[in-house]
Amino acid sequence: MAFLEIENLNSGYGDVNVLSDISLSIEKGEIIALVGSNGAGKSTLLKTISGLLTPTSGKIIFNGKDITGISPDKIIRDKIIHIPEGRKLFSDMSIEENLLMGAYSRKDKSIMKDLDNTYLLFPILEERRKQKAGSLSGGEQQMLALGKGLMGDPDLLLIDEMSLGLAPVIVDDLISIIKDLNASGKTIFIVEQDVRLALENSNFAYILDTGSITLKGKSEELIKNPDIKKAYLGM
Amino acid sequence: MTLQILINGILKGGLYGLMALGMSLIWGVMNIINIAHGAFIMIGAYITFLLFNFTGIDPFVSLIFSSSIMFLIGYTIQRGIINLVIRAEIFITLILAFGIEIFINNAALMIFSADVRKVKVSYGASNFNMFGVTIPYVRLIAFLLAIAITIILFFFMTRTKSGRAIRATSQDLDGAVLSGVRVSRIYAITFGIGTALAGAAGTLWAIIFPLSPTMGGSLTLKSFVVTIIGGLGTMLGPVIGGLTLGIVESFGTNWFGTTFESLISFSILVIILIFRPKGILGKGKE
Ligand SMILES: Nc1ncnc2c1ncn2[C@@H]1O[C@H](COP(=O)(O)OP(=O)(O)OP(=O)(O)O)[C@@H](O)[C@H]1O
Ligand SMILES: [Mg+2]
Repeated sequence: MAFLEIENLNSGYGDVNVLSDISLSIEKGEIIALVGSNGAGKSTLLKTISGLLTPTSGKIIFNGKDITGISPDKIIRDKIIHIPEGRKLFSDMSIEENLLMGAYSRKDKSIMKDLDNTYLLFPILEERRKQKAGSLSGGEQQMLALGKGLMGDPDLLLIDEMSLGLAPVIVDDLISIIKDLNASGKTIFIVEQDVRLALENSNFAYILDTGSITLKGKSEELIKNPDIKKAYLGM
Repeated sequence: MTLQILINGILKGGLYGLMALGMSLIWGVMNIINIAHGAFIMIGAYITFLLFNFTGIDPFVSLIFSSSIMFLIGYTIQRGIINLVIRAEIFITLILAFGIEIFINNAALMIFSADVRKVKVSYGASNFNMFGVTIPYVRLIAFLLAIAITIILFFFMTRTKSGRAIRATSQDLDGAVLSGVRVSRIYAITFGIGTALAGAAGTLWAIIFPLSPTMGGSLTLKSFVVTIIGGLGTMLGPVIGGLTLGIVESFGTNWFGTTFESLISFSILVIILIFRPKGILGKGKE
């Protein structure tokens, strides 16, 4: 069985069903992409995996354990960390406090060591550790969001719209950090509207269209697929 | 004379600040305007009264009991009742708090009758003179304790993990949930702290002023005014709001008479709202 296995998942908001019969699997150690246009249901899927939304039917199995419908704090302790769209940082709190909030559910001894590691990865955050998160630029905030996620010591990292609204140089930096993290053993699930970026930087990808998976495959193959070129890559 | 009025206002203002601190915390973090706040202050006052009358425990010492009992009451109310409607409209929580207030007031009337009581400590009338100003010891101690409690809360909120989680929850609910915060637990703790602060304020109130089961209504109103004047979302807000109300009230009643006390507090509320719609220090949402 795969690291994360989703079977026939249905989920949405109240009476509104957004995801219909989603099935997908994520292998350990990979970078998996979920792409699709505006309103397709990408964020809804991540919110359902991390427990913000409860599915109406279907199963989510992580590391052999059924985590369907359990609360977000337990899912976090199972080491799935969700970095949400819009980052959801605590803007009136300092950068360091935000990072420590990332480790909120941990009880182990290496939190401070991980804080040092996060600062090594993002020196700018250490320079500004006393500054309020709200005072950072968009790119720096995304670094903080990533750093905060890492403070949760994830095995599976879900990242929603990391590139949205950021300058290309900054996106490149963030992507190379993601690849390093992946190389060091973390499994990463990225959700992007920027289809090219996602396909160029992942091993495997799923295409989501109005709540259903319409296509899946190796990213290097999907990027050559004529339908995808036409629909998502503007060619 | 002017200095005396100013000092009187400051001493009372410190207590007003403590009264409003709990209301402001609950409001800022949970978006609940707790109409029952004054009723919780009243319970705190009666706990002190009862402990003093039946066991002789010094009212200042009973601060520990009133605040811990009120913490448990507040935590339980939030866990048991309010968490059920926490995502509901502010209107629903308002009505719920109103119901809790009516319940507490009627229970208190049944148990204590409408009689006005007083905590008569032996040192109640002692005072000292400084620069021609008379300062009663109890008022000075109550003021210092109110400030000390405010400082303790500040350290709790900024230096502890739970305090950090409370602030995080108030700033971004989803962000807090995705950090592993169990919001219903944090809300129960916050409500518990808010009512514990009400209990502490009740104790200090009982040492200085007479008490009756219906005193809560006007105290809710005062806490509300202080919260608005100081502004939501900062811990210094209630202190500044309390001192402002205390001083203005002190001068106002001196010039116009005590019958105008409520009118004076409302006038200052209106004036502040015209010039600083979010309060003196406020930065929170409208
Ligand atoms: N809180 C909500 N309540 C009700 N409906 C919602 C809510 N959030 C999203 N939706 C609806 O669910 C559908 C899927 O939204 P979702 O945010 O998952 O899309 P998305 O693929 O992430 O889009 P985007 O690329 O814009 O982020 C949309 O039709 C949206 O209107
Ligand atoms: Mg989205």
